[in-house]
Amino acid sequence: MSELQLLKEKHIQYIKSLDSKTNDLEYWLSEHLRLNGVYWGLTALCILKSKDTFTKDDVIGFVMSCWDPKHSGFGPFPRHDSHLLSTLSAIQILATYDSLDSLNTDGKLEKCVEFITGNQQADGSFQGDRFGEIDTRFSYTALNALSILGKLTPKIVDPAVEYILKCYNFDGGFGLCPGAESHAAQAFTCLGALKIVNRLDALTPSQIEETGWWLCERQLPEGGLNGRPSKLPDVCYSWWVLSSLSIIGKLDWINFDSLRKFILEAQDNVKGGIADRPDNEVDVYHTIFGLAGLSLMGFYELDPIDPTYCMPTSVTKTFKQYPY
Amino acid sequence: MHGVKRYNHSRELLEQKRQQDKQRIVNYRALTAQTLDARDAQIYTAQSLELTTSLLSTNPEFNTVWNYRRDILEALHPGARPSSEAFPEDELEFTMAQLKRFPKVYWIWNHRVWVLMYFCRDNAAVWRRELAIVDKLLSMDARNYHGWHYRRQVVAQIERIEQRSLDRSELEYVTQVINRNISNYSAWHQRVQLVTRLFQFKELPAEEMHTLLRGEVDYITNALYTDADDQSVWFYIKWFITNDVVKTTLPSDEYAKMLRGLRDNVVLINEDDVEFSGSDNNWCLKMLIVIEGALKDAGVESNAEYSKVAAEYLNKLITADPDRMNRYKHLLGSE
Repeated sequence: MSELQLLKEKHIQYIKSLDSKTNDLEYWLSEHLRLNGVYWGLTALCILKSKDTFTKDDVIGFVMSCWDPKHSGFGPFPRHDSHLLSTLSAIQILATYDSLDSLNTDGKLEKCVEFITGNQQADGSFQGDRFGEIDTRFSYTALNALSILGKLTPKIVDPAVEYILKCYNFDGGFGLCPGAESHAAQAFTCLGALKIVNRLDALTPSQIEETGWWLCERQLPEGGLNGRPSKLPDVCYSWWVLSSLSIIGKLDWINFDSLRKFILEAQDNVKGGIADRPDNEVDVYHTIFGLAGLSLMGFYELDPIDPTYCMPTSVTKTFKQYPY
Repeated sequence: MHGVKRYNHSRELLEQKRQQDKQRIVNYRALTAQTLDARDAQIYTAQSLELTTSLLSTNPEFNTVWNYRRDILEALHPGARPSSEAFPEDELEFTMAQLKRFPKVYWIWNHRVWVLMYFCRDNAAVWRRELAIVDKLLSMDARNYHGWHYRRQVVAQIERIEQRSLDRSELEYVTQVINRNISNYSAWHQRVQLVTRLFQFKELPAEEMHTLLRGEVDYITNALYTDADDQSVWFYIKWFITNDVVKTTLPSDEYAKMLRGLRDNVVLINEDDVEFSGSDNNWCLKMLIVIEGALKDAGVESNAEYSKVAAEYLNKLITADPDRMNRYKHLLGSE
């Protein structure tokens, strides 16, 4: 058997094909993820050094059509309500295209910042929108977006950090709220948020050692990583776990070669794209996180990805570093 | 997409799907447009509620429509009484039917919490009923992350209303769950929360606290002999022997005795594994390092003794558990 290869060209074609699937019911059923999907696709193309596959003006036009004039912020699709998740995707796409000035009309920038900060609660946590769902995913989303916009302040950051620290668990992982079970994706959101606001030092060195231990135990004998103990491996954890390890400077605590093999085996050799695990249906979510994992490990001369922002480092190096 | 098998459809099959999708897309998009138009026109009626029911039954991920549904419910039931005895049965039935079909969709779980908080947040009876429901859900899907989160939210509401802690009954619950399946990490996680709280809030008389801790030592030792390859138990043990609750509650000689006893058992289990499979049990080695570290921290062993045995185990692990060898090298370097 020949050695496994990264099917770069096929992945580019797969991502390109996504927007032409309007004849599939699934395309319409996934409107609620469209803006996130565009961000995943665009970032994957950047990693593959093929950013121009998308037409910049079309993408920016679509992003701006997702602005929610009633609540401010961005929805995932035109006419959808704004949410922190889709608002971050919008800002990430604009930043990747160096087009944040699109927010300069009609006071959108100020309204956007107000929407994000308006979702912060008295205890420092963030809700995703006005209906009160609290999750450290939204802490990350809010701090990431505000950081890209250069609008972090101690009034926002200090209570946010305090809340995140309460989500640190006995096993070194982080949960979605205080008392919730550790989950690798929540480790990413919590460590990423702390890193963005330059407060990783709020964790003691021994706490970080525990975090690294719990994270590296996510690698299974078949090479893939899981998100919680006794769960199946899944390509998306190539990102959630690996980026977390990278943020705390312990990237090499897992076996790169066996993870690489696991990701490559999850590729669709015919139409491109990467699935959650071998022989499953591919999607853009697992495609980006598989590629991002490979980039973090330094394989295939992919464009370098920033483990904290999940954006090309060529973009994130322009962000203002907090504290300003 | 998680866990969806890949099929390479034939051209005919694809064409068939396209044809079927055609009408479905027309219907779905028409229903979406109708619903969002009604929302924009601020129509808050039983009919518009029905629209959201149809749309969400097809697509439970459409969070904008969940939002509209809540706006409708608020308009139809202004100023709902928080201690109401009339439960919003229709809404609870709808979300339960949805959860059975889509147990991992965040929006449905959130909507259910919102409904309960809006209509009857101060009524203990409804939350008690939720506790029974989540029991059932978790018995079918024992690691459901949302389910466990929901359980904690429900328990917190009951505790708020009844002004008493449910920690002891919850500890009994997680014990049952673990006894059913020792690899249920979600339950072990919850066990840590509960044991910590029992001590933190001094919910037990001193003598009972001791009894509880001694019981835990037996419990985890048994668990180890049941499945020495399962991470869940090891992470619990790591917590148990290094956390302040145990260290400060047990008299120091008893704590040291517990550590030595545990060490003997782990060594024994590892020897069994070596005899049976010819190689060390990685988790036994990892935990022996933790136990030796705890003995050192308790002043039972000297730094030099600890460094010597820890280095020995770490060197073994570098070959026995090569995926994580860089962690062991790092630990060797920092000794």
